Amino acid sequence: MRDERQTLPRIVIEGAEVRLQRGAGAAVLGTSLALHAGRVTALLGPSGAGKSTLLRAIAGLERLHTGTIRSDGTVWSGPGVHLPPEARRCGVVFQDFALFPHLNARQNVGFGLRHLPGEERKARIAEALRSVELTHRAHAYPHELSGGEQQRVALARALAPSPSVMLLDEPFSGLDRRLRADLSAMTLEVLRASGTAALIITHDAEDALASADEIALMEAGSIIQSGAPDALYLAPVSENAARMLGEVEVFEATVSGGKAETPLGAVPARQDEASAVKVLIRPEGIAVSPGGTPGTPAALTERRAAGPAVQFTAMLEDGRAVIARAPVSHRAQPGEQVSLQLDLTFVSVVAG
Amino acid sequence: MAVTGPVTQPLRRRIGQTGFRPVWLAALAGLLCAGPLIAVAWLAITGTWTDYLGHIYQTRLAGYLWNTVIVGLVAACLSGVIGTGTAWLVTRHVFPGRTVFQWMLALPLAMPAYAAAYGWYDLTQAAGPLSMLPTVRGPLGAGLIFGLVFYPYVYLLAREAFAAQSADAYDAARTLGCSPFQAFTRTALPMVRPAVAAGLALVVMEALADYGTVSHLGASTLTVGVIRAWAGEGSTPDAARIAMVLVTITFLIFMGERALRRRARQTSASGHRRPFQRQRLAPLAGIAAALICAAPVLIGLVIPAARLGWRALSTPAATGLWQAAGHSILLAGLSGLMAAFVGLALAYAIRTKTLTGRASARIASMGYGVPGAVAALGVLIILGGFQGWLDGAWRAMTGSPFPLLLTGSVIALLFAYQARFIAAAIGPSESALSRVTPSLDAAARTLGARPLTLALRVHWPLVSSGVALAGLLVFVEVLKELPATMILRPFNMDTLAVTAHNFAADERLGQAALPAVLLVLVALPPMVWIARQITASERQRDAIAPSDAFPGLAE
Repeated sequence: MRDERQTLPRIVIEGAEVRLQRGAGAAVLGTSLALHAGRVTALLGPSGAGKSTLLRAIAGLERLHTGTIRSDGTVWSGPGVHLPPEARRCGVVFQDFALFPHLNARQNVGFGLRHLPGEERKARIAEALRSVELTHRAHAYPHELSGGEQQRVALARALAPSPSVMLLDEPFSGLDRRLRADLSAMTLEVLRASGTAALIITHDAEDALASADEIALMEAGSIIQSGAPDALYLAPVSENAARMLGEVEVFEATVSGGKAETPLGAVPARQDEASAVKVLIRPEGIAVSPGGTPGTPAALTERRAAGPAVQFTAMLEDGRAVIARAPVSHRAQPGEQVSLQLDLTFVSVVAG
Repeated sequence: MAVTGPVTQPLRRRIGQTGFRPVWLAALAGLLCAGPLIAVAWLAITGTWTDYLGHIYQTRLAGYLWNTVIVGLVAACLSGVIGTGTAWLVTRHVFPGRTVFQWMLALPLAMPAYAAAYGWYDLTQAAGPLSMLPTVRGPLGAGLIFGLVFYPYVYLLAREAFAAQSADAYDAARTLGCSPFQAFTRTALPMVRPAVAAGLALVVMEALADYGTVSHLGASTLTVGVIRAWAGEGSTPDAARIAMVLVTITFLIFMGERALRRRARQTSASGHRRPFQRQRLAPLAGIAAALICAAPVLIGLVIPAARLGWRALSTPAATGLWQAAGHSILLAGLSGLMAAFVGLALAYAIRTKTLTGRASARIASMGYGVPGAVAALGVLIILGGFQGWLDGAWRAMTGSPFPLLLTGSVIALLFAYQARFIAAAIGPSESALSRVTPSLDAAARTLGARPLTLALRVHWPLVSSGVALAGLLVFVEVLKELPATMILRPFNMDTLAVTAHNFAADERLGQAALPAVLLVLVALPPMVWIARQITASERQRDAIAPSDAFPGLAE
């Protein structure tokens, strides 16, 4: 699934396991992940999956129970090793931004730059604030800033010390939708310009698909799949992985003669003969044609136009309803008899 | 989230109109609180000038000021260190007795400063059992005593601020290159600074308002100057002039604290907050922490109270003590009830969001900055003038002076207590009432509750604990109050505080011990309840935070 990449990863996590309380179950369980410089990785998963805990473990705010976290060959966390957070050069944007209320925007951004001489520090602060377009708010205190401005100060503060990796914990979750789109674009631009490895936690699939260079799907403490957004969308490794990124039709089948039979037709399956499989079909992979053309006959029961796409609900002859998606220009109306064809690009077969 | 917009606006207004809108009462309370101070200022300007003031200026004024500064500074330093240190221990660590120390550390507030002074002076004087220690006396000794009995103000406010901090700020500091110690000094400590400053302002204000301690330990502050001018010289205008100096200093402290707070409001920027994981201390360190937390309670409350108790047991009791105790409880109880009622009314007035209501509450809450001696002086001036007018009118009608003496009456005392302590009753009530949101009112009304039902079934259950807290706070304060009681009490009406002070002033500490101990015994149970209530924020839904319970801090 991974595309060819010549660069060595900046951060490598192998078999990481974190237990938050003695005796409690593991919040992060045998997770492996690699972060690359200059690339933004989105960590996507339902709440409680252990995303924040993994982020805190990378930053050194939680200890690993087993496994290792290495950065450019240095072990940050591992057996008997725990580099304290202040020695790791991780930039973290916390979910509540965690701006220091007693310091203004400039002072917040300059907090991690104490080691620099005065002039250089000033220049770096100014540069960081300029990159998030907040030069005019430099002297405002956190409570005087809007939510979006607070987020940008938090971003500038984390970036100012030129960290080797940026970790963002649901950085847009507290903001309203429109603001979120603008901010997310700016954040990505700033992150890419900085050239660091970046990990953004999100639970919004669209957000992840739109913004990240790479997506890692996390469930119950483990990364279940990672890779390029399109690869993940088109070729999920499991039903759960498929559902995290969008709607999917699932048909259970048994492999027979290298094929798996579904109500919409047979699809090629590489699994062992006679093994149980699940056929996952994205709504875009079901084409709706006028009745009578070759394909699976069905009755359209609903047509919902949503922006650029139209979503059809079609009733198959066995009474099962499937969802198909097409450009909004598609003319089919509810009540019509139609034929459904499969586009195999949108179909994947996984072990059941 | 806020209910706004053109649709809900009329609804809110209509409900406000049908609800309890005691703006007139609030205005009256504001006037009550501002009256004495205005009277003092007026007399200071218009009163006849005598050469007493010139004499004071040449001889004692510098000493008064010097003592005031030393007493204030020592009290502030000591209470700052004790209060902040213990607050940090109980909020960030786990050690034996932590949950008990949480509220126990507030108990020295039940100890009148002068009682602690009697106890410690008696212990450390030449013939006392601890005579190897330097005798507790002079401005240094008085400052120490104030630091020991008033540090709970700092402790309670700092504890609340520490507890409110999000662990994310600390983590952020760590990821930005701070060691644990640096993260504490660069983020946690500056973030509690406004709370500590607010606590220190209260400590210094209480120290400057005190009369019993400084007069016993020979550290004549400006308050002593006011009382000497009034009692010794019989010159109310001169007393008023010295009082104005005192009030100016107090208000400067409050303004400074307020300005500091405005610059950096210490609220967490957004709602999400990750609480700190308390650090479990190793057994030895845990015992050390427990000892450190026990020390202020022992030194500020237990040891001096025990010494007084021992002295009381070995000295024949003076007569009239039970009567004095009755007077103390009656006055404090009446004042507590009145203040709780007026405080609730003021809280409602603030809720109406009218200018008069809010301004009145603001003025009333400034009364706390007026030292008791000054408030009493103001009441004396106002009632004296009123008495003169009544006498004149009565004489014109009947040919004899008005049969009731207003100055030096229970009314005068209650007036002065209210003027000074209503402020303490506003905060808790307002905090409790803030839980009654407009949408809660609207919900109850749409479910068929009429205004009275609404008040009884929704408002009262939500505010009752706040009102009780307000009443008890004022009860304890009035119980301990000495200078105002001394100045205004009726001729034959002694209270425990006055009795104790009079014996102590005659160097009869043995006799002063019993009334002082009785005071502590009466003040302690309500103080335990108050302390548990205002430190319960983690345990209870209807707890009231210290920053809401103490005046001068509520906006």
